[in-house]
Amino acid sequence: MNDSGNRHSQPDVRLPAGDRAALSVLALFILFVVAVPKNNLPAVIAYGSLPAFAIFAARLPLKLVFWRILGLLPFVLFMAAGNLYFDREPAFNAGKILVTGGMVSGSVIVAKSLVTLTALHVFSLCMPFHRFGNALRAFGVPALFVTQLQLVYRYSFLLASEARSLQKARDLRSFGRKGKEPDTAAHLIGSLLVRTYARAERIYMAMSARGFENSMPAAETPSFTARDGKTVAVSSLCFIAIWFLFVP
Amino acid sequence: MHMADALLSPVTGGTFWALSGSLIAWSARKTAREQDGRKTALMGVLGAFVFAAQMINFTIPGTGSSGHLGGGLLLTVLLGPCRAFLALASVLVIQCLFFADGGLLALGCNIFNLAFFPAFIAFPLLFRTIAGDSLSPGRIGAASMIAAPAGLLMGAFSVVLQTTLSGISELPLGTFMLFMLPIHLAIGIVEGAVTWTVVAFVARTEPSLLSSETGQNSHRSIIPAAFVIAALITGGVVSWFASSSPDGLEWSMAKTSGIAEPEDRNEPVHKTLAAVQKQLAFLPDYGFRKTGARAPQTSVSDTPVNPGTTVSGITGSLLVLLVAGTAGLMLGTRTKKTETAGE
Repeated sequence: MNDSGNRHSQPDVRLPAGDRAALSVLALFILFVVAVPKNNLPAVIAYGSLPAFAIFAARLPLKLVFWRILGLLPFVLFMAAGNLYFDREPAFNAGKILVTGGMVSGSVIVAKSLVTLTALHVFSLCMPFHRFGNALRAFGVPALFVTQLQLVYRYSFLLASEARSLQKARDLRSFGRKGKEPDTAAHLIGSLLVRTYARAERIYMAMSARGFENSMPAAETPSFTARDGKTVAVSSLCFIAIWFLFVP
Repeated sequence: MHMADALLSPVTGGTFWALSGSLIAWSARKTAREQDGRKTALMGVLGAFVFAAQMINFTIPGTGSSGHLGGGLLLTVLLGPCRAFLALASVLVIQCLFFADGGLLALGCNIFNLAFFPAFIAFPLLFRTIAGDSLSPGRIGAASMIAAPAGLLMGAFSVVLQTTLSGISELPLGTFMLFMLPIHLAIGIVEGAVTWTVVAFVARTEPSLLSSETGQNSHRSIIPAAFVIAALITGGVVSWFASSSPDGLEWSMAKTSGIAEPEDRNEPVHKTLAAVQKQLAFLPDYGFRKTGARAPQTSVSDTPVNPGTTVSGITGSLLVLLVAGTAGLMLGTRTKKTETAGE
């Protein structure tokens, strides 16, 4: 999500459709990718062309997407390695190399992860957070939960900088591993918690002064337009076409 | 422990989306009834606190590696189950959409594994039972050291079940459990120790922050907790030693007619119902489904450990608990209505 907190690192992208349509298309896309059978690598690659196209069309920072995804791969690689080890039945020969079923299904797991994570990143880089909240409200998500999401998002940047300051102060007073034990960290977390409570009190008083009544005010959500309907329909047709072309 | 979309089938992902979505709706409705704006602001800021607290890392003794707080149990101790569940779910939604940490289809599973177990199982059944009304560091310590690893282990076990039920990974259930459970036990012990120190610190410096949620109705949850734990142990472990000899009915039929089970009748109704049952039974004969060519070898094993029986036992226990609990709630509501009408 881009917002005022980190807008300097995010591109300004205008979506071709409304937010609800964008969220629906994302959900449909992930559903199609996940439903691809576990031995069908070409279908996953074909679906992967769509987020790749979106990255280049919207001129999104490829480096940022790459590094974020790289950090999330270890668990997926572990699962793929499991397939490699446990399924050694020969699938086909690629020249002199014997490709096993585990190699194919393992690479499908990695490819599916890359494609779905890239799609999520494209979405998060294109939609401001407050609009995401409005879209959720329009889908009937409880207002209290949307308020909760908006508060968490808003204050996570603020508290993160406070946590960083605490950690920096501790690191300056530590030598090697000494001073970085769990009990020292727990005391830091404890004081961060007490400060957080004090901050929550101040925030609540400020919000009450502005008329807060248990939920954040929401901008009027535009209705689901014909353009939105067309976007969802065309995207669905694309996904179905890829399915029929690549999944026997 | 965040799951990726690639490891899940749409059916498993969808089921847990529905489950977690219902839990969010229920928690939100319950919380909204309280109309406490102060706590709503607090929930939001504490959700952000979990993000911030995860930035403070520490060295894990004896390993040389570093770790950070998960925060599930701590948040529940501070906010209570429903509010903590909403706060944790919101953190997971933001982690999924902003950091792509965990997939979108897997979001339901991740909320269930990382928020449901600490908020609705580990805290009310273990932490509150052990800590009681007391804010003494000893009891808080014991409660944290038991509840945090238990919550984390249940989540890790749930990851194993969801992955196995999805059928994407070739990792056998037993091997996967062997990888996941010990490491999460170790992580849980560190999580418990950090939670203990933080709660003890807050109890010493700002005890008013804890008094609202710790220790309420602690004695009431002992009996259900004991039953749930006993049911899970019986279903998951004791079932390995169940006798494979015929049961009473099969024995009597074998004695009278010479066959243990009657042959299926070839009528269309029986055939249709058998086909429906075959489709619906996701753990046939208390084990995993066997697929034609790739059926596991039926070698006689020396060990009684059977992952299929464990999954069947635990799933069965939880399903019975769910059905009985729902029936109990419905009957309770009806009785209340009748009593109100009688007055």
